[in-house]
Amino acid sequence: MIVKRLLSLFVATSILFTGSIQIAQAAMVSSEQVAQSAGIASAEQDRERIYAALTREDVRSELIKRGVDPLQVEQRVAALTDEEASKMANQIENAPAGGIIGAIVFIFVLLLITDILGFTKVYPFTRSVR
Amino acid sequence: MLLQIRIRILAFMFLLLGSLLSGCAAQGVREVTQNTQLPRQHELTATPFFPQELYQCGPAALATTLNAIDIKVSPEQLTPEVYIPSRQGSLQVEMLAATRRHGAVAYVIPARLEALLKEISAGNPVLVMQNLGLSFAPSWHYAVAVGYDLNKELVWLRSGTFERFEMSLSAFERTWARSQHWAFVTLPPGRLPVSIDADAAARALVAFEKNAPASAAEQAYAAAVQRWPEHLVLLMGLGNSAYRNKDLHKAQQALLQATQHHPASAAAHNNLATVLLEQGQLPLARTHAEQALQLAAEDPALKQQIQQTLADIQTKLDELDAANK
Repeated sequence: MIVKRLLSLFVATSILFTGSIQIAQAAMVSSEQVAQSAGIASAEQDRERIYAALTREDVRSELIKRGVDPLQVEQRVAALTDEEASKMANQIENAPAGGIIGAIVFIFVLLLITDILGFTKVYPFTRSVR
Repeated sequence: MLLQIRIRILAFMFLLLGSLLSGCAAQGVREVTQNTQLPRQHELTATPFFPQELYQCGPAALATTLNAIDIKVSPEQLTPEVYIPSRQGSLQVEMLAATRRHGAVAYVIPARLEALLKEISAGNPVLVMQNLGLSFAPSWHYAVAVGYDLNKELVWLRSGTFERFEMSLSAFERTWARSQHWAFVTLPPGRLPVSIDADAAARALVAFEKNAPASAAEQAYAAAVQRWPEHLVLLMGLGNSAYRNKDLHKAQQALLQATQHHPASAAAHNNLATVLLEQGQLPLARTHAEQALQLAAEDPALKQQIQQTLADIQTKLDELDAANK
């Protein structure tokens, strides 16, 4: 476990350094940085870039743990912004995951009634009274 | 006696239920039905339909919005991009990311029924997240809103296995409210939704720029700058993506505009200096870089970047000096 942590820290650090070298060469301030300091994207302070890289590492392992094909995970994590990656890392277990249609059987009747009252819409055949 | 009490309790409960219902008579619904700006009805009948397979409403809804703007992709192709097996569903963040992976911009729209209907009337199908169940027995679901009728108070969605799923406006509003009214529209770079403000556009475009080809990013920012010509992030985005696209003239124009509207932005001056350096306008580049350094007083990371710019300019000046001797 500790070895894994150390390894990811090492990977993160090396990502950080390649990152900063690229920035130093271009000397352009990225739009993401500007958006962050303008408060439009949540700020990922420079000194916290190691942390951001670790966050991505977390998301990667959490996705694999939840059954996502490891071959897909790389691209999925790469598609996220820093802000999205930290959101995922914090909420992957609790954030609502859209997918289920229909509901558990034991509350069938309750949901049927709430459907008819127009509070819910679990069953396509119900017609709300309101 | 006992019966009387029972009847009273029953009556009381009905009263309670009644007041509960009237209290909930979704506010947003009344607002939109009285709205005179919106067309009374509109339906995007040409929106394609992909019936969902078990738990796959995320990929199905994504395929719907992407194919609606002629990005040909099937739900089966999208499943490995968004689906999380042990959660039996897809997360909102990845729905946005997957949209961008296919070359489209995902704009989260304001959390209001009016904004959603406005987008539909402008021709943009809206991907929504609903909780079709109750807060304690959630049934999270993605669907695509494609039509409405304010007189009949109805909404139509491409939803699950139903090509034209009909819901009353108020039932839709309640199920949608449970996701904090989360919704986004999918558009190709160069087109903008009608309901968003400049900050929301900037948020979507910065995320898009990150993994998009420079030309697509430039095109997307250019359209946004046309609508909001003074927004710092949008101008910077246009300048940066034009620079990345080796379009130095456009980059210089946009960044100059950024420094004019936001004279206190160190980032704008620094990036303008970088572009000027590449155009060979060294004295002007140095002026802007020095100005940037002054403005960046409290930001060590930014300062470091600007010092790099200044060093690059100095190197170039030295080279020219050496060549002249």
